[in-house]
Amino acid sequence: MLLAAVLAAAGPATAGAPGQHFLLHCAGCHGADGRGAPGVTPSLHGLVGLLEAPGGREYLARVPGVAQAPLGDAQLAALLNWMIEAFSGRPPDVPYTGAETAALRTRPLRDPSAARPSP
Amino acid sequence: MSRFDGGVERLAREAARRLGRRTFLARLGALLAGGAAVPLLPVARASAGGARVPGPSEDVEGPEGDPARCEYWRHCAIDGSLCACCGGSATSCPPGTEVAPVTWVGTCRNPVDGKDWLVSYNDCCGKTFCGRCMCNRNEGERPEYHWYRNNDINWCAGARSQVYNCSIAVVLGQATEGQPEK
Repeated sequence: MLLAAVLAAAGPATAGAPGQHFLLHCAGCHGADGRGAPGVTPSLHGLVGLLEAPGGREYLARVPGVAQAPLGDAQLAALLNWMIEAFSGRPPDVPYTGAETAALRTRPLRDPSAARPSP
Repeated sequence: MSRFDGGVERLAREAARRLGRRTFLARLGALLAGGAAVPLLPVARASAGGARVPGPSEDVEGPEGDPARCEYWRHCAIDGSLCACCGGSATSCPPGTEVAPVTWVGTCRNPVDGKDWLVSYNDCCGKTFCGRCMCNRNEGERPEYHWYRNNDINWCAGARSQVYNCSIAVVLGQATEGQPEK
């Protein structure tokens, strides 16, 4: 019983609102573990590297799936911060804010693959 | 030859002594009547049911319902054949098929606990269309332009084979709120 409680507490679904938003809006393609599907969808692990590459911070908020997610600006910022920490092991040095995602998501990327920075 | 004739005659006389002339007719009648009753057995009824053939766990009843039925709470937005009727279960693909890595996620409310749960609708791919237990519930499903909440898409697109077999409904966890489209 205790083990079950510990396991349940460690699951992504109980990670609060951002974790649930991840499962609802992202996990269908990137997987509940964020590892993606080889050759189909990219892994979300190690996002800190992409975040810190030139243009990476803007890229992550302008990817169509992020920019067009049915979430408010502050919810989207919280989701990005949660995702980076959950799959990179550490939170972003400068967390996204709602104002930042509000500005970036107005310009979703037309060609995400071509625009992806090299970490 | 006469020995053979004698044997047959002895058997015939023995049968005539033991059996009434109507016994054959009675047994033939019973056979015909029993044969007519065979289609009433449950096995035959299953195949006569038309498009929807009940799966092996059709008679499983529980507080949360039957995973082989369309009315099962997890199936609130499913569109396809239920894998529980196709050799798999509500959460696992039938043998010989591959679970698609790309899918869509929605929420369903479990009427037993009154809570919303995150449900991943994965297609099982690689064998021809199962066709059993067709279920087309679209609660919270959106049109094709809202593709990541659409169930008319062949979600086998990300699998090695794009041949659709059936669909499963995997609970990813509890949701504190229903999906925004509901």
